[in-house]
Amino acid sequence: MFLFSALYSFFSRLFFSKTAEITIVGLQASGKTSFVNVIGSGQWSEDVVPTVAFNLRRVRQGNVTLKVWDVAGQPKFRNMWDRYCRGVDAIVFVVDSHDKDTLPIAKFELHSLLDCAPLNGVPLLVLGNKNDLPGHASIGELIHALDLDKIHNRPVSCYSCSMKSQHNLDIVMKWLSSRAS
Amino acid sequence: MSAKKDEETGLGSYYNNKTTILQEARVFNESPISPRKCRALLTRIVYLLYLGETFSAQEATTLFFGTTKLFQHKDSALRQMVYLSIKELANTAEDIIMVTSSIQKDTQPNLEVIYRPNAIRALCRIIDAIAPSMVQAVERFYKTAIVDKSPSISSAALVSAYHLFPVSRDVIKRWVNEAQEAVNAKATSSFFSGSSSSNYLGFSASAPPSPGYQAVPSTSFITQYHALGLLYLIRQQDRMAVTKMIQQLGGGKSGAGTTLKNPMALCMLIRYAAKVLDEDPNVQKQMLELLEGWLRHKSDMVNYEAARVICEMKNVTPQQLIRPVAVLQLFLSSTKPTLKFASIRTLSALALTQPAAVSNCNLDMENLITDSNRSIATYAITTLLKTGNEASVDRLMKQISGFMSEISDEFKVIVVDAIRSLCLKFPAKQALMLGFLAGVLRDEGGYDFKRAVVEAIFDMIKFIEDCKEAALGHLCEFIEDCEFTKLSVRILHLLGIEGPKTPQPTKYIRYIYNRVVLENAIVRAAAVSSLAKFGVNVVDVAVKRSIGVLLSRCLDDSDDEVRDRATMYLRVMKEPPLAETYVKDESVFSLAALESKLVAYVKDADASNQPFDTTSLPKISREQARQESARPSALETIHTLVPQKSAQSAYAKQLQAVPELASYGPVLNSSAKPIPLTESETEYVVSCVKHIFKEHIVFQFNVSNTLPDTLLERTSVIMQPSGDAGLTEDSIIPIPLSVQPNHPGILYVSFTRDKPEEYATASFQCTLKFISKEVDPSSGEPEEDGYEDEYQLEEVELGGGGDYIVPTYVTFASEWEKMKGAANATETFALSAMESIKAACDSIIEILNMEALGGTEIPSSTAVHTLNLAGLVVGGVGKVLVRARMTFVRGQGVTLELGVRAEKEEACNLVIAAIAG
Repeated sequence: MFLFSALYSFFSRLFFSKTAEITIVGLQASGKTSFVNVIGSGQWSEDVVPTVAFNLRRVRQGNVTLKVWDVAGQPKFRNMWDRYCRGVDAIVFVVDSHDKDTLPIAKFELHSLLDCAPLNGVPLLVLGNKNDLPGHASIGELIHALDLDKIHNRPVSCYSCSMKSQHNLDIVMKWLSSRAS
Repeated sequence: MSAKKDEETGLGSYYNNKTTILQEARVFNESPISPRKCRALLTRIVYLLYLGETFSAQEATTLFFGTTKLFQHKDSALRQMVYLSIKELANTAEDIIMVTSSIQKDTQPNLEVIYRPNAIRALCRIIDAIAPSMVQAVERFYKTAIVDKSPSISSAALVSAYHLFPVSRDVIKRWVNEAQEAVNAKATSSFFSGSSSSNYLGFSASAPPSPGYQAVPSTSFITQYHALGLLYLIRQQDRMAVTKMIQQLGGGKSGAGTTLKNPMALCMLIRYAAKVLDEDPNVQKQMLELLEGWLRHKSDMVNYEAARVICEMKNVTPQQLIRPVAVLQLFLSSTKPTLKFASIRTLSALALTQPAAVSNCNLDMENLITDSNRSIATYAITTLLKTGNEASVDRLMKQISGFMSEISDEFKVIVVDAIRSLCLKFPAKQALMLGFLAGVLRDEGGYDFKRAVVEAIFDMIKFIEDCKEAALGHLCEFIEDCEFTKLSVRILHLLGIEGPKTPQPTKYIRYIYNRVVLENAIVRAAAVSSLAKFGVNVVDVAVKRSIGVLLSRCLDDSDDEVRDRATMYLRVMKEPPLAETYVKDESVFSLAALESKLVAYVKDADASNQPFDTTSLPKISREQARQESARPSALETIHTLVPQKSAQSAYAKQLQAVPELASYGPVLNSSAKPIPLTESETEYVVSCVKHIFKEHIVFQFNVSNTLPDTLLERTSVIMQPSGDAGLTEDSIIPIPLSVQPNHPGILYVSFTRDKPEEYATASFQCTLKFISKEVDPSSGEPEEDGYEDEYQLEEVELGGGGDYIVPTYVTFASEWEKMKGAANATETFALSAMESIKAACDSIIEILNMEALGGTEIPSSTAVHTLNLAGLVVGGVGKVLVRARMTFVRGQGVTLELGVRAEKEEACNLVIAAIAG
């Protein structure tokens, strides 16, 4: 019986396993590393050390393996985002929906990233993080502030979520899994 | 053979194609990663870089970011390759900060991975390139890594420190204790190495070691080599510390007590010892003892290095050479080609200066003549040529002509140089040598080789009268078919000088005129000048006439320089006085003085209103000019002729850097040599250089402090002129910072010349004043309080020849006549203290600092002599000539009648005063 189940899982992994490579970008302190931590190990922590350069994590979700590039968001790293976005299955752009002052900068960085020709057609997921805090921007406000309605050459989705309360993370994972091949 | 060639080009094109590699770099982005493919591609990238291929910043950045993605894979062989490529790419790629965190993860001490040393080495490149301040952040990490028990990690950290030293000197200096430990500690690990390996086996039986990582105990002790390099780098400024280090690590007289096990480390130590030996003669005895101990070391490398250092030592005595030469002799019969090559090369160099010491090895070198390695054979033959006697020359020459075509140009040059010194040594063999040189001149060869041959023939022409005609003939043939313009020009010049003196000058004219017809403009111009020399110097009127015809043909030349020269020389030939100045004049400007004056002229914005003044430049004869510019030929190194270098321009630069002196204008004259004001072995060594400006005189004092562990602060020199000197002191510019041990400082004392047109003479009492502070040897910080101190220096003399007059060269007889009507003075002196005419000549030349002309500095008679001198008075006053007529009577000394003629009255007075004073 044990042997059989082991065999079964081996074959299921062989035939039904899927992988996806995603890159997470966004301004500093928007919650990128927290997102990786939460989907990877389910743990959320108040103080996360700012990422230098990048982290690479592997996340298993059912029969889907996600390879996640978590790239640093400080200004000096932003020009390197596109290098880690090439050839991935999806780009996740995390914004701090509570800090409305930074939205114009986020918009600028997002659009200059998407203007890179090699990234044409790569699906984009925008996450409005920190919706547990009062006074956060709604989905509509985000779409408007980031000009998401003006992006035409790729599928775009936008969710409001919270890493702290893990609100909406299930649909985010579903969206990511659907990108796997 | 052809198959091999195909293989090579196939491999080459596969590896050499940068574009393919950039395209294939896509494998870095594949998912999942194939470690095998990526490693192969990285290997090709590194291979390309090692071949000298360069990547643009953008290409390198793309590749670099590709490699950073490979950090996701755990394969250790791949990771090592990644580090290798990162190290190479880090120099050109941008944004390399991206990998810092990934690398730092791999350098963690608790990580037992094989690629940890690689990570450490890569980290230093990254730090180096992005932020020197980061060195401080990783200091603690490196310090522990240096003393790590694994030699590869310790080596990696040491090498990194070595590379970081230029970036962050002060931080690395603090790691000296760790480096010291790394040099010493490994001695104990060698003691345990036997037991630890068995320990390791026992461990592996009980539990499998972590994959890919094995702490292999080192038997090479390479860490010592790296640690020694770092220690030296840290201490190299401090000669005392280096000497101490060498003595400590050298391990006493026999060299047996040394902790150094690595032969390369010992070789390094020997090289440091050589450097110390070269700089400080005081330690020669101790160092020599150490070196002789190393001659008996069990490693060939160490023996050779020690022998080489002794052989290359300055002023080595034949006695000291016996043992190192014996060691080298042993190597000559070794089976290893490298050893043979190294030792024969050293012996060959030694044979230049000490042929007698090398001649012991003659027998062994004879055997090497037929060595299958041509480089060894060449050195053996050239060395034998230097050590051998006249009888063996024929045989050796035959041997060497046999394989001249088989060796590279560099070795051909060595052979030619050997033959050059040989023919000067054995002039009787000149016909054979000249035949050989003429033969190789016809062979294929590059510029350097041809130049060596031509220069060798030049030397023969100069020194061996008998071969002159034959040699000139060979040179004429050579320029018929010479592809090197520079050589053609030099040969044409020589023909112009030597040709007219030969019995049949017409023979050469044909060759020279051929050049006018066939060659490029530069050679044509040289040929025209050469022809003109025949026209002026040959007595035969028929020759003069035909030269005139040839030159007038050149008037139609397409190049203006050639036409100009032809026109000028046609005129010169018609007017003999012009020929005196333009063709026969034997004096030229002193090039060093001309250069510094021209530089000053170009830099000074106001000076361009007036034409450049050449009258203030000292002149020298052509013979001197040649000596100054000549490269030290083999002959000269034997006689150790040290060319006098002009320090003037160096001083001018130093003075310009001092803001207080900038307004004084250009320096008119600086003393040729610093005058020592103390004994050379005292606590403080001071020397003085005098600089004469138009309205000022500046004394430069070089102060060095030989006491270790003390600093001198606020150092100044108090100068007390004796009597009324006509000078007013304006300022003392003290040394801004403290004078540290063994770092000389410079201070200036400036005086104003009250009457610039007069030449003030005086002597000064000098006292060195300073505040002395002790330095705490442990912290390197000076103590707060010092005490004032004074130090009496010897007197400084101002006046006489050396300060206002510089030597110059003129044609004495004609100049003396010309200045008949100018200012002149005659005075008679009785020099009763002089013992001979020669002594009187020497002291007059020294006092006046003027050029003795026509060989008059060497008296031909002991009773009566006339000494002719010429000099140039600084400050545009012009020439001054001196005719000193002397008679010598035993018991009465020398009676001197001094006749002075100068362009200005003051100059006459100056000379008379200098002798009288």
